[in-house]
Amino acid sequence: MNEIAMAAPSGTSMFSKYGGFAAVRGLVMDFYDRVLDSEIVGHHFDNVDMRRLVDHQTRFIAGLMGGPAELDEGRLARAHRHLGISGEEFEEIVDLLSQTLSAGGVAESDCDSVIETVERFRHDIVTERRP
Amino acid sequence: MIPETLSSKLFSAIGIGVALVSPGDLTLRLVNPTFSQWFKGVSIGDPLADVLDEGALQRLKDGLASDEPFTMDVAGKAGRRTIDIEVTVRQARHDDEAMVLLECQNISRLRQTEAMIDSYAAMVERKERELEREKVQAEKLLLNLMPRSVYEEYRAYGSVMPRLYEPVSVLMIDFVGFTDMAVAADPTVTVSELNDIYTAFDRIAELYGCERIKTLGDAYLAVAGLPHPNPDHVRAAAQCAVKMIRFLKRRNETHPHTWRARIGVATGPVVGSVVGVQKYVYDVFGPAVNQAARLQQCSEPMEITVPKEFASELIDDFSLDKVRTETLRGFGDVQVARLKERRTQPASRSFEMLS
Repeated sequence: MNEIAMAAPSGTSMFSKYGGFAAVRGLVMDFYDRVLDSEIVGHHFDNVDMRRLVDHQTRFIAGLMGGPAELDEGRLARAHRHLGISGEEFEEIVDLLSQTLSAGGVAESDCDSVIETVERFRHDIVTERRP
Repeated sequence: MIPETLSSKLFSAIGIGVALVSPGDLTLRLVNPTFSQWFKGVSIGDPLADVLDEGALQRLKDGLASDEPFTMDVAGKAGRRTIDIEVTVRQARHDDEAMVLLECQNISRLRQTEAMIDSYAAMVERKERELEREKVQAEKLLLNLMPRSVYEEYRAYGSVMPRLYEPVSVLMIDFVGFTDMAVAADPTVTVSELNDIYTAFDRIAELYGCERIKTLGDAYLAVAGLPHPNPDHVRAAAQCAVKMIRFLKRRNETHPHTWRARIGVATGPVVGSVVGVQKYVYDVFGPAVNQAARLQQCSEPMEITVPKEFASELIDDFSLDKVRTETLRGFGDVQVARLKERRTQPASRSFEMLS
């Protein structure tokens, strides 16, 4: 199992730097809205149970920011394998996440390092073969 | 009084869905745009069955049996998204006609927040369990360094007061020619064999109520009567000593490397304390510790040496022989004897040897 927890350069996690759960809460909700309203990826979530999706996104964001969750590549890969996610859809998610973080007052350098982490999962998530 | 036009504009613009339903045939008599948008674009004259599924409709009918307002949760749509709607149902009158007023609020955000808190709580609980496991691990490590009661004091107050334990019996074991031993050529073998032996010694010590205080290279120090006073500490230490020798004999019969130990047992007061700040260890100090070390040096390999006065306490279960006077550094001339396990000899015979 390969787990990645992000830490800010100072040694404290981004999670505590931005005020713990209180701050992440806003990010999760905003990201949730953006993803569901997206023309490109929203349809993937039309029939997904809200509780499961929120649970997934809470862990995703908390994990990315070094909160009390770990991102597990194997688990991410299993969860996305059968969805046939395209590169374009992956980029849309990265874009939405980036917008969410910026709007939430996350510093640009931290934003970049989160996106960098997400990019590392690209091959676990994008499964659609190019025609 | 609110102007007529303003109230109708307000009615159209508010973010909650409002509908009036006639209680008889349950058709919609009035809907505002928000209501219509959430429920498949229904309009005036449509049956309420278009809005609510069968279960929800039944709950509404049941609720109307009483005059009290009530709420129910139903699903609606906002654009492509499914939303959670809480409907408050009130019975009202309009121009003397009975009406049912439906007030619908979008509570999706509330439900999402609940889900998020649940998810986060689960994460935190999992982390807490991990921390708890680590705490247990740390505790286990500390318990290897000091007796439990000392650890409890350390945990509660952050320090340990030196304490006098009196009297206790101290057991000192040292291996013969450890540095010259054949296994010493390969340190990993030596250490792993020593580990085996110490592990067995720890079990024997525990069995007889002795507390291992420390090991230093090939020396092993245990105390009986600490931290809990034990009136039978001499016997406990003696039993522990003979069992350790017996264990070594048995082990030597089946192992390629022969381990031979000398043991000294002495009794007296000791002070037990944690020493050091960062790298703290629990240790005992006192004449009994020194005397046990000197007595151990007087032993022949695989022998246990004790002060002669132990005879009175141990005579029932042990035999003492090789009574002699030894000059012990720091103690002067001391009468000592060899402690042996009583096999079959009657008590009187072994006592004869002493007298």
